Amino acid sequence: MLTLRNIVTKLQIHSKQVTYCTKAIVEQTSPIISKRSYEDENYFYQRPREVWLENIDTVERKKLGLVFLHPDVYAASPRIDIIQENIRWQRMYRFVCYAHTKIRSEVRGGGRKPWPQKGLGRARHSSIRSPLWRGGGVVHGPRSPTTHFYMLPFYTRVVGLTSTLSVKLAQDDLYIINDLEIPSNEPSYVEELIEKRHWGPSVLFVDTDDVMPINITEATDTIKHVNLMPVYGLNVYSMLKHNTLVLTERAARLIEDKILYHLHRPDSHKLMSKFKLNQ
Amino acid sequence: MAGKQGKDLALSMLRTLPRVALNNIRNNPGANKPSKRGRGQHGGDKHGAGNKGSGQRQNFMRTGYETGNNPFYLRFSYEPYYKGHHLRREYPPLSLQQLQMFIDTNRLDPSKPIDLVSIINTGLYDFRIEWKHAGVHLTDEGVDNFKAKVNIEVQWASEPVIAAIEKNGGTITTAYYDIHCLHVIKDVDRFFTTGVPIPRRLLPPSDCLEYYMSAETRGYLANPEEISRERLVLSQKYGYELPKIEDNPNYEMLTQRKDPRQLFYGLEPGWVVSLKDKAILKPTADYLKEFYSS
Repeated sequence: MLTLRNIVTKLQIHSKQVTYCTKAIVEQTSPIISKRSYEDENYFYQRPREVWLENIDTVERKKLGLVFLHPDVYAASPRIDIIQENIRWQRMYRFVCYAHTKIRSEVRGGGRKPWPQKGLGRARHSSIRSPLWRGGGVVHGPRSPTTHFYMLPFYTRVVGLTSTLSVKLAQDDLYIINDLEIPSNEPSYVEELIEKRHWGPSVLFVDTDDVMPINITEATDTIKHVNLMPVYGLNVYSMLKHNTLVLTERAARLIEDKILYHLHRPDSHKLMSKFKLNQ
Repeated sequence: MAGKQGKDLALSMLRTLPRVALNNIRNNPGANKPSKRGRGQHGGDKHGAGNKGSGQRQNFMRTGYETGNNPFYLRFSYEPYYKGHHLRREYPPLSLQQLQMFIDTNRLDPSKPIDLVSIINTGLYDFRIEWKHAGVHLTDEGVDNFKAKVNIEVQWASEPVIAAIEKNGGTITTAYYDIHCLHVIKDVDRFFTTGVPIPRRLLPPSDCLEYYMSAETRGYLANPEEISRERLVLSQKYGYELPKIEDNPNYEMLTQRKDPRQLFYGLEPGWVVSLKDKAILKPTADYLKEFYSS
């Protein structure tokens, strides 16, 4: 104990001279406890979620501290059905169907009556392009372009996000890191990191801004299953598409802030009014 | 897992299940209604319409027709219960319990006068002009739990409500807003973007003029001296000691009143508020000043 104190005091005096051993001291610093006060913290039904704060600047995992997260966002009810509705919406709203068939007026020819109405003993027909004919027009066939755009109700989208985040955290597929700084711009470093941490092949890194550090940008550029995303782009599909979701601490806080705002905003009825089915 | 319930239980069960991914999720069974009816052996048959008759053919009788009887809706002569109903003003209720909740949850600031504008701005009061809503009717539900000391302006209040507010050392006024002003108040942000001057409030129509001139109902057109006398009368009737608002440190706030022509505290009719430039434009012409003066 005494020797440790001596070392610390010496280091404080000669901090610049002994830079080579300051690293050991840094590792001994007290862990970061990232805790926030919430307005409803006295009325929590569940406990705040505790997540390790990790680093990615070394391949080996270092636990830098602990992050406490709001249970309404990171321990919400895992509504698989709402997640599925979100996935379907994200697939469908951008989908335009180009399947196309011709109706009888669009099929070439068929203007002439194929044979007289009466006297031949044959069935009466007015056009060789009638839907009854082989090579005729198609009734109620697909018509291009058919859009499938629709909007999911606002709070179904919000609950989709909370459900997915909660599922990811519950299944140990959500990690929180301090920042996105890595020492090298080699893709092999990221691959090694993911291999070592058992983060699965595909990983989604999320930060607050859309301008990321240069090293990780270059390193992940060629790896197609490792992607970077700002918080404003976070969505249910991408979270499920990737095995592991890695949030920076400030991104986790920003997501929490935004979702809590939407869960408690007073004008929520205005947002939902256009999704009402009656009245 | 023991002892866990609800969400925590569900989340702890997920830990041992395969990773939730795009390929293993589905909606709840029965959530999607098929758009086509079954054919042939796959639910063909009657398609749920039953056997024969109007149920199957969907040729229902017209509404109210009783197969030849004198129909119920024609059996009695007309009585105009709802005559003029579409013209009558409606005051949607706001209970004292709700008001206390708004204050406790920081939706309303009791250190400032509370009026229709601030109540609508909470976002929790359903106010629809198209339903002839004309303002707040403060009701006495939760009167025993009401502890706030407020200066509130409502459109309709009963005697026990007035007593409850004055017992706590607060003040209450009943005030009338005409339909044009209500459109402004309903969405103040939107109104300020229009660049239209704040209108002047019109006087109440004859059917409620008496209510708003009466001191018993704390009307905004009543004589202030009569109101202070009525406050004392009410306290004696309900048997409580009237707190002296003169001694209150918030005396100025508690006695703040709007002008009968005024819509917003601090803003006068005729002014144009520009939120973009953060500026207030006031009328300078004499005829405008005369028009907007009370």
